[in-house]
Amino acid sequence: MKQRSAVGRFGLSFAGFLCLVLPKAGLAEEPAPPQAPGAVEELPPLVKDPALLQFVQAPYPEAAQAARIEGTVTLVLEIDATGAVTRVDVAVPAGNGFDEAAVEAAKQFKFSPAEDASGPVPVAVEFAYGFVLDAAAVEGARPDEAAAAAASAEAPITLEGTVVEMGTRRPVADFLIRVEPVGAEVQTDAEGRWQLRGLPAGTYTIRAVRPGYDTLQKSVDIVEGQATSARLWVRNQSYADPGILGTYHKDSADVTRRTISMDEVRRIPGTFGDPVRVIQSLPGAARAPLGSGVLIIRGSNPEDSRVYVDGMYIPYIYHLGGFESVINPDLVGSVDYLPGGYGPQYGRSTGGTVDVATRNRFPERTELRWSTDALDSGGVVLGSFGKEDQHGFGAAARLSYIDAILPAFLADDGFTVIPRWWDFQTKYQYQGDKPDKFSVIAFGFRDTLLLHTPDGYAQGTDQDTQGDVGTEYNTYRLGVNWDRSLGKHWALHASPSFGSDYAALDIGDAFHLIQSRYTFEVRADAKYTLNDHFTATAGIDFIAGWADFVIELPFNPATFAEIDPIADREPYALEDNATGFGPDPWLNVAWKPLENPDTLALNAGARLMYVIIPGENEVLAFDPRFSFRVQALPGTVIKGSTGLYHQPPQPFQQYRPDDKPVEVGAEQAWASSVGIEQSIGPAIRVEVEGFYKDLTDLIVGNRDFGSLNDSYFVNAGVGRAYGVEVIARHEPIGNLFGWVSYTLSRSERQDYPDEEWYPFDFDQTHILSAVASYRLPYDLSVGAKVQYTTGNPTTPYSLGVYDVDQDTYMAFQTGAGNSERLPAFWAVSARIDKLFTFKSWQLLLYIDVINALHGENPEFEQYNYDYTEKTYFAGLPIIPSPGFEVKVEF
Amino acid sequence: MLLMLLFAGCDTESMSQSWQIDRLRVLAVAAEPAEPRPGDVVTFDALVVSPAEPLGGSAWFVCDAGSSTDFGCEIDSGLIAEGDIGTVDAEALAAAGFIGFLPGLTPTWAVPADYLDELAEEEKLEGTFAMTYVTAFPEVAEGEQLDEDAVEIAFKRVPVSLAATPNHNPVILGWRVDGLDIAPGALVDLDPGEPFTLEVVLADDAVETYSFRKSDGVDETREEEPYFSWYLQEGEFSQANTLWPFTETVYFAPAEPALPEQSLWVVVRDRRGGMAWASLAIRFI
Repeated sequence: MKQRSAVGRFGLSFAGFLCLVLPKAGLAEEPAPPQAPGAVEELPPLVKDPALLQFVQAPYPEAAQAARIEGTVTLVLEIDATGAVTRVDVAVPAGNGFDEAAVEAAKQFKFSPAEDASGPVPVAVEFAYGFVLDAAAVEGARPDEAAAAAASAEAPITLEGTVVEMGTRRPVADFLIRVEPVGAEVQTDAEGRWQLRGLPAGTYTIRAVRPGYDTLQKSVDIVEGQATSARLWVRNQSYADPGILGTYHKDSADVTRRTISMDEVRRIPGTFGDPVRVIQSLPGAARAPLGSGVLIIRGSNPEDSRVYVDGMYIPYIYHLGGFESVINPDLVGSVDYLPGGYGPQYGRSTGGTVDVATRNRFPERTELRWSTDALDSGGVVLGSFGKEDQHGFGAAARLSYIDAILPAFLADDGFTVIPRWWDFQTKYQYQGDKPDKFSVIAFGFRDTLLLHTPDGYAQGTDQDTQGDVGTEYNTYRLGVNWDRSLGKHWALHASPSFGSDYAALDIGDAFHLIQSRYTFEVRADAKYTLNDHFTATAGIDFIAGWADFVIELPFNPATFAEIDPIADREPYALEDNATGFGPDPWLNVAWKPLENPDTLALNAGARLMYVIIPGENEVLAFDPRFSFRVQALPGTVIKGSTGLYHQPPQPFQQYRPDDKPVEVGAEQAWASSVGIEQSIGPAIRVEVEGFYKDLTDLIVGNRDFGSLNDSYFVNAGVGRAYGVEVIARHEPIGNLFGWVSYTLSRSERQDYPDEEWYPFDFDQTHILSAVASYRLPYDLSVGAKVQYTTGNPTTPYSLGVYDVDQDTYMAFQTGAGNSERLPAFWAVSARIDKLFTFKSWQLLLYIDVINALHGENPEFEQYNYDYTEKTYFAGLPIIPSPGFEVKVEF
Repeated sequence: MLLMLLFAGCDTESMSQSWQIDRLRVLAVAAEPAEPRPGDVVTFDALVVSPAEPLGGSAWFVCDAGSSTDFGCEIDSGLIAEGDIGTVDAEALAAAGFIGFLPGLTPTWAVPADYLDELAEEEKLEGTFAMTYVTAFPEVAEGEQLDEDAVEIAFKRVPVSLAATPNHNPVILGWRVDGLDIAPGALVDLDPGEPFTLEVVLADDAVETYSFRKSDGVDETREEEPYFSWYLQEGEFSQANTLWPFTETVYFAPAEPALPEQSLWVVVRDRRGGMAWASLAIRFI
């Protein structure tokens, strides 16, 4: 009886396998690659996947063969920069002797190395090693003489065809085509084609086999003197996007960088497939109040954290309501979440940083995707062209229609709410063999909200706040990323961008605030790589901008301190502009002093923040930063960081009437962290990290404000935030992925030295998130997310004093500020999706259920009119959100 | 944020509402004249309602704007808490700005002749304000302690100026119910569970036209935009606050009223400090 491993025929290509790149620090034997776009030591995107050049056939385990057992072993292969396999781990065992056989065979594989913009780099990949009994083994059939004829080059072609993947219409290489009963075999080429010669006329059964795909059997008739053609549609067992990488981790100046892969994100319940929302399930991120969408990272104010898209700063990351980010998920390549300890390439913030990288891998065939859910609909087109698909492109647009749906859920009482938003993104990318690589991206979004009140409805005694309330904000950016490699040692990067931001607020007829801001940014750096042990990068984070603003108020702010609610007011209008400028140079040196560069990595850097703000005032700050990583044991990394972080005053804190000088300076954070990362097998990683952040020069309201000669704000506040973060993560290997993250933290503030410390407004002692998703057969996925957080601090009040003129009660504060808390928040979200694959397109149906167990979570306190009673704004009820996605390839 | 709150559940309707009178409340305070000049004598009155228990009285104070806070005049809380106003030292009371006690001692304040002397001549047209501070409390039976939670404290600003067109309190002529004029003091019969359109009838000159001098020295003619607050004991309003020229609201009478006779109130604020009110006695049939 003939036995063999079916995968023995799949040895020439790696295409079609789930390629998951895992942390693999320090495997480089070549000089470290030049820096990636955006920043020193930033994780660069791969431009070329590793390809399997030499496959080694494993012997079929005898016991499994005797028992006619088949199986697939999921391996994680570490591949160095030469393409050699340096380590093999079993991620998902198959037992029956398959695991040992697969490991021994995989150790002898040879790959072409993976490459980023600089050249070969070490990676780790997931590899499914399948053991399939051939038909002879299964059925006892024996090949006859016709099989030999079929292999004859002289015989005429009698049977041919192609193997095409259902849904994507991609040709599939390395399929084993076996024709029974003659036993003739052939393997598909890179174009999915195959042919057999010299088969006599008759009826045959084609059996097409490849690991990762459903085995296909098809009956065909061969007519004498004719060549029969057969197209075989095969069904992938996992349509996970092989073009999307998981964590790709090299040495970095950022001690804590958590990268989210898009394939993971799409399966996380309660996120609507939005990668940015996933951040709120990671350690260090507090739960944002309902509808706010703010980022509260390691006890920092929301405005202390910055969000970038391809290195370009944007003021808003979420559309109205905080449900969806402003970048279409299909255009997002990865999201880097840096809660702290990041290098000098990032600045002007004392909180965390989120860097959203747009897609840098585009499909060979043009794809059209369409998605619709309860909030909006949008389409995406992706593709590439040119020699070796060097030119990639993508374009996306979305439009909300919640304004059309909302009235069905609201009472018909004359009040109307009209929220609308749209966004778009376009990107062109060139990644050829030349030393220059570049991309151009343009994106924008616009959000509007109008609250209309019925005629005659009075919102209070203030005549200037009557009427409708409306707000709008929009942002547009145009940016270029350019990289050039200059030989072995130097690499240059530059990313200039231009953008505009607009924000407007109208309250009734009297309040109108409009700000138009135009910014020009340049991020540029030059990296010098001496050898495996030393690199130095110098960069500049330049920003220049000007802003036009219009302020129309029902009163003159010059008399703001003496507002008399019954006095006649004189409308005030101000049209002005301001300019700002900041070059912010930075330097980072990475040194690996030991012989084995993997063992110890030291990063020392510094950043100079220099900002000119309105009134020709200068803000200058120097931020030294240091970090280290020590590989104490195989799979164990100890890491730490310390550094200074400064941020300039917020725009509203820079306002002084009559061009008076701004007297507030930069806020400062001295942030330190130490942690340990432990790999437990190829699939599980555990991280524990402690952090402490000392906040000084915090800007608070001037309690001594008495006249316009006084500044509205002063740098009198201090604060501290400290805690421990833990995450245990199961990488998306096999059918399961997920993580459990927990943060124990405390964040406090003191506004003035002689005042009491109080908990930060969003201080959450316990933050627990557990996320899991599992792929079931038949392209079904189920997932759940459990979230628990301590309630936010609140301040207690009691029966107040009635202000007769304003028809409102002034509450008495009965306890210290933020001395009480909302009840704890907990919620369970669930998701189930099903992928339908047709010959030329795919349909994904899903339902996301938010708060599936109907936890009654208070979001805010709400007192009655005189502060004698209190209730809560409850969180979201059970919200089932169905949706669908369609993908078509051309 | 506003958008999300629409999706969220808010149980505020289970709490007591400002337009529902279920405890002792001060609903309005009026000064006469509404905008005095230095040297004028001002008398005060208040709309104090107490549906459940008899009203004990109200103590009145005045202070200038400089000695007030967000909570009104800074008054020694122990001064009145002792309960018996007659035993408090008179000088201490006067120093605290005590101006009267109702019932019995009508609150009266003589505006000092030099009240605006610190202002520039131009500023005197707009003037400044004094603060009136009233503490109302229920009747306390002999031998019982005053329930502090039942005490209502309110304050009101009294503009003092040399304005060319000083403000006056609006004048309410009466009520209309479903378009019918209601005679003063009449008891109106209503069907439980039914809607009724309430209208407050103002005097012709209730909405004043006045002159305001802008910072550039130019006088501007302006017209008041009164604001109406409606109150009830049981039932609901279509709108509890309306804005001029909307002088109506719909009253939805309770289907099963707990009390056969109740009251409705409306307070009119001209938003320059002028104030007036009216009550309507109703009976469910």
